[in-house]
Amino acid sequence: MAELDFERGLERLFAQTPDYSDSEAFAGLVENRLDRGWNLRRMLIGAAGVAGGVVGASQLIMSNFLHRVEDASEGSSKLLAAGFAQVKPSLDLFASAQSDWLVICLASGMAILAIGFVLTKVIEEI
Amino acid sequence: MPGGHRLAGLHDVELATLASAGDRLAFGELVRRHGSAVRSLLRRMGAAPPEADDVAQDAFLSAFEAIAEFRGEGTFAGWVKRIAARLYLRRLQREKRLAAVALEAEYGAAQSLQPDATSRMDLDEALKGLGLAERLCVSMCYGAGLSHAEAAEALNLPLGTVKSHVKRGLEKLRARLAPTEGAQLEGSSANG
Repeated sequence: MAELDFERGLERLFAQTPDYSDSEAFAGLVENRLDRGWNLRRMLIGAAGVAGGVVGASQLIMSNFLHRVEDASEGSSKLLAAGFAQVKPSLDLFASAQSDWLVICLASGMAILAIGFVLTKVIEEI
Repeated sequence: MPGGHRLAGLHDVELATLASAGDRLAFGELVRRHGSAVRSLLRRMGAAPPEADDVAQDAFLSAFEAIAEFRGEGTFAGWVKRIAARLYLRRLQREKRLAAVALEAEYGAAQSLQPDATSRMDLDEALKGLGLAERLCVSMCYGAGLSHAEAAEALNLPLGTVKSHVKRGLEKLRARLAPTEGAQLEGSSANG
């Protein structure tokens, strides 16, 4: 019985903890390390998302999808070129062949960003 | 701190739930509440203050990573203490410092402690009179709340060896704490 009492008393003594004067600084250090780890993780996730986006978009561009986008964008790019031509008739920047590629490049860039964003969100959620 | 007052009124389990959803402020409040307890346990296990703080930080970071596993069945402080104790042992193992424990296990703790009945001694001082193995075993079982079997597993020692370390450690502590034990226990009962 005395043994048990002593053990319980010892547990109580262990439970009594000194209040360290630098406990606030200690908590700050832990929070800083948490923030650092969190930021690093966000950057890694972002980088992984963008890399995934680049891979995804390059797969789309390398596949037949390119021709389909080209066909689909042909009409709209002509309309776009016509619109710009009305604003600046002398500017030959948006000649049809070039403007098709410009639209495809823009679409690819936006696809990379979109896929990257989606992948980043998905990885974060996981 | 804008959310400080809001968080200060919450129970540990509620804070842990918020932390598991990624709320780092909530976890910071848990560190504020229990940081001293974890640091104190590590010092009592024999870690020097800078090392104890280092391991305590790692323990809290590990706890944040695994916060979803904390279901509020025990206390949050107890849960983090167990993580911290295991991390400290791993560090000792990595740095080959646990070899001393194995040696003590083999030959038995030779260190004897003559109690001085006239001096008043607190737990921290009394623990300094224990051998490393005894100190680790007693601190893990009575400070971190590990069972003898869990301590044996963490220390990679036979269960019987851990039990004898605990027994010897308790005997030394009893002798050392005896003059003030009654007073301290009365004080803690009045507080509790």
